[in-house]
Amino acid sequence: MERSWWWKALLYGLVTVLAALYLVPTVSYLWPDKFPEAKLPSFLRENFKKRIQLGLDLQGGLHLVYEVNVDKAVNDKVDRIAGALEDRLKANDAALDLAVTREGRDEIILTFKNPAQQAKVDDALLREYRRQLDLVDRSATTGVVRLRLDPDQVEEIRDGALRQGIETIRNRVDKSGVGEATIIRKGTDIVVELPGLGAERFESIKRMIGRTAQLEFKIVDDGSEYMKKVASLVPRDGAITIQPESWTEKDSGKPHEDVYLRAKSREAIEKFFEGLTGENALPADHEIGYEESQGRNDAGDLTPDKVWRTYYLKKRAALTGEYLTNADQNWDSQTGRPEVSFEFDHQGAAISERMTRENMGRKMAVMLDDNVKSAPVIEGVISSRGRITLGGLGDPMQLQNEAKEIAAVLRSGALPAPLRKTFETQVGATMGGDAIAKAKFAMGIGAAAVVIFMLIYYRGSGLIANIAMILNLLFMIAILAAFEASLTLPGIAGLVLTVGMAVDANIIIYERIREELRHGKSPRTAVEAGFDRAFWTVFDAHVTNFVAGVVLYSYGSGPIRGFAVTLLVGIITNLFTSYWLSHWMFDVVVNRRGAARATLSI
Amino acid sequence: MAQPHPKQKFFEIIKPGSNFEFVANERYWIGLSLVLVAISLIMLPLNAYVLKGRGHVLNWGVDFRGGTELMIELSKKVEPGDLRKAFSDSGYENADVVRYTDPSGRSQDSYIVRLGAVSILTEAQAKQAQQAISKEGDATLHKFEWSEGGDKIYLRYDKTVDPEHLKTSLSAVGVNALQVQPFGRPDEHGYEVTLVSLDSELRRDIDARFGAGTVQAIPQVQSVGAKAGKQLQLDGARSLLFAILLIMVYIAFRFDLRYGPGTVVALLHDAVLTVGAFAITYKEFSLTTVAAVLTIIGFSMNDTIVVFDRIRENASRMRDKAFDRVVNISINETLSRTIWTSATVFFVTLAMNVFGVGVIRDFAFAMNVGVIVGTFSSIFIASPILIWLNRKYVESQKSAPRQAREPRRPKRGDMDEAKA
Repeated sequence: MERSWWWKALLYGLVTVLAALYLVPTVSYLWPDKFPEAKLPSFLRENFKKRIQLGLDLQGGLHLVYEVNVDKAVNDKVDRIAGALEDRLKANDAALDLAVTREGRDEIILTFKNPAQQAKVDDALLREYRRQLDLVDRSATTGVVRLRLDPDQVEEIRDGALRQGIETIRNRVDKSGVGEATIIRKGTDIVVELPGLGAERFESIKRMIGRTAQLEFKIVDDGSEYMKKVASLVPRDGAITIQPESWTEKDSGKPHEDVYLRAKSREAIEKFFEGLTGENALPADHEIGYEESQGRNDAGDLTPDKVWRTYYLKKRAALTGEYLTNADQNWDSQTGRPEVSFEFDHQGAAISERMTRENMGRKMAVMLDDNVKSAPVIEGVISSRGRITLGGLGDPMQLQNEAKEIAAVLRSGALPAPLRKTFETQVGATMGGDAIAKAKFAMGIGAAAVVIFMLIYYRGSGLIANIAMILNLLFMIAILAAFEASLTLPGIAGLVLTVGMAVDANIIIYERIREELRHGKSPRTAVEAGFDRAFWTVFDAHVTNFVAGVVLYSYGSGPIRGFAVTLLVGIITNLFTSYWLSHWMFDVVVNRRGAARATLSI
Repeated sequence: MAQPHPKQKFFEIIKPGSNFEFVANERYWIGLSLVLVAISLIMLPLNAYVLKGRGHVLNWGVDFRGGTELMIELSKKVEPGDLRKAFSDSGYENADVVRYTDPSGRSQDSYIVRLGAVSILTEAQAKQAQQAISKEGDATLHKFEWSEGGDKIYLRYDKTVDPEHLKTSLSAVGVNALQVQPFGRPDEHGYEVTLVSLDSELRRDIDARFGAGTVQAIPQVQSVGAKAGKQLQLDGARSLLFAILLIMVYIAFRFDLRYGPGTVVALLHDAVLTVGAFAITYKEFSLTTVAAVLTIIGFSMNDTIVVFDRIRENASRMRDKAFDRVVNISINETLSRTIWTSATVFFVTLAMNVFGVGVIRDFAFAMNVGVIVGTFSSIFIASPILIWLNRKYVESQKSAPRQAREPRRPKRGDMDEAKA
């Protein structure tokens, strides 16, 4: 054998072993009773965890696509601005005869009974609303002023709502304990896939996901007798720990002391509170808020673990996100630390002023959809403008990101854009089971027919082709496992088609070799010439299929994508196995040490 | 010419040196193909306007049409007509009810039901509901927002109302809500009503009519909003267009311009005939079918390229022969490969068609048709067009230097020539 052959042998051997290793988790996932995961050697379990997921159509589950109902959100916003504008104009002149009407989704029309009064919509007023409204036209003769929502605002609403939508759906899904969920943004849609979900939970999960998120501000009732009592009731098994905290009021120096619970899982704390009954039960006018944060070790450094902590909150939320008009991340001019500034509208300012005055020095929890996002201490009366300074020591970059995140939450909370479901597939698990059995059978029959045909028609060389085909399947599945791709019904069709393609490449090459042999070439030169001349044909064939696959991938959705992925991966591995790898195997046959072969089994 | 080794044996069905006449008889084949294309195209308006019980150009799946498709397994026999009547009484007109054999044998009867609706609420019901809840206690409704097909209603009152009570009032007029929750600012008294999903509602309707427990299971539900359906249609059409365009670019790059039109016409031919097969059988045409058509395009190209590669190679070797003879020889030389490849792919997909389920089956059907027409088109459509173009643009330019008329060869081919 030539030296290069041995190098190839080493390379191909390594690739095959690697592929086989990648396959292990998938095999033990698909046949847990025959290959239990627990019995795998530990180095396998630790280093090779990625595996193929079964697609929705195979294991059952939910596939939902939501779009943000931007029209509704914009409409609400313009309604609100129109109301505020009317209040503002009438504030100085209660007798002003003004009709405020709406047109379409974006426009506000102000009609002054006395045309001259349209001058009340002056530059100062327009400047105040410049971020929100554009002046379309005004007429001094009819007294009509036409205003339109700034188009940037529409984009901002769409963008914010999408981001918030994804965030809230993720939180809700995490909370529901459904594993393996994927939530992705595709264009202006949110795609949610929940494989492996039982049919009996479809309705409740859909209800949970489709609900519109609400942003609320609630007061933390610190130093309460109730939490002290709760602290003494926490079981001492270490799952939930009791943490004290304290801070002093900035101006008066009045100290605040509180205790809260902390645990790795939110459910643990929820369960604990559910177990409290009678006089220990949570007071009706209070609730527990949960905040997820990065854990810290004893030295105060961040650890990768997530922990949940509680806040004891007053239930009533007088202030909600809809009163916010704006929120931004910027920098504290004195300390240079990142902070979040926000603005309330007229009504919001009044509520906020009362709320902050009454609760000076306490914490105010910013809650999105049952989760506490942040709980800053109220350090002064907040009316129309407020800011949240991020406390604690930490990496400035991280603090800034945190501030940005809070600003985004506040901004999007200012307008709850409802999600509208546009596409839905739900598959019961039994359906999946049948489908798998049938698909396996169909695939088995198809593959077996091909294997037998190749053996009959090309005999010894057919065996090489079959080995190459099996290796191709092995590599394909290994790559799919490494990408953690999901296998769908069309994906299985893709696998079977790849078998067809592998056969095609082999037939092209073998027919070429036969031709060369008929011309009287020795097996060795015939194999060389055959592979050489067939290369471009095989290559072209693969490229055209690849093109079709790429287009499928970019335009397809859901299961079609699964098909495209298997097709694309298959095309690449197939070129490798049916060309280079089988060429190498042929080298063994025709180059055997000793007498050169006179004939070839092909 | 050298002789092969006396002991070298092959298992052959199509003997080498076959010389079937393909090119000279092309007009019959092209004629056949034109007839098939015509039938395919005529079927589309026939389906839409003439044939009873069809009503659409193609039997669009819900993913294109918009609406809801459900599989329903029943615990007892129910006639399709009764089921349809039940649906129309519940306000779902024109329900498509098709009986199918449940492969698992779990149920007594099973149906695929297709409805135009995606939400339980019809226009009329919405009006009725609005009437019914216009007064809640002492609060007055002053905004009722619902868009057709939406699974949510937004309400606004002048005073706070009790969400639970609102839910009861709605269900009194047959509008079942999953939940009612406050929405927006507290001082605006807005409420968000989430309706129950269509499948739960249908289950309830059927059980109420045919007895509790009639619906054994609803193993699969797919619902597509009208807008999403349009988007998917657009994406499907776009993907076909892009695939064709990209393949054309590749062909122009790898071969020369003469080879381009033949491949593209062959590919369109295959796409049209495959769609035609769906028009004739009125099988459901869904996103998966589009995927299959794209795959067929890939395979058909593959076939055409194999033949063209050989033509290109032979054209440079057999300069003394007329071009149409070169084409005929090339088709014969690649015949064995063409037939075997197509046959294996055909049998693999046939197995999927016969033994597969659902999506796989539709996909396999499209592939079966596509493989046959794809093989046909690479021989009888693509090659004649190539010959025709060659005759028109190359052979007519007698004065042009000979070398310029040769098709461009790939690098590797050039090297082979040099060796020989």
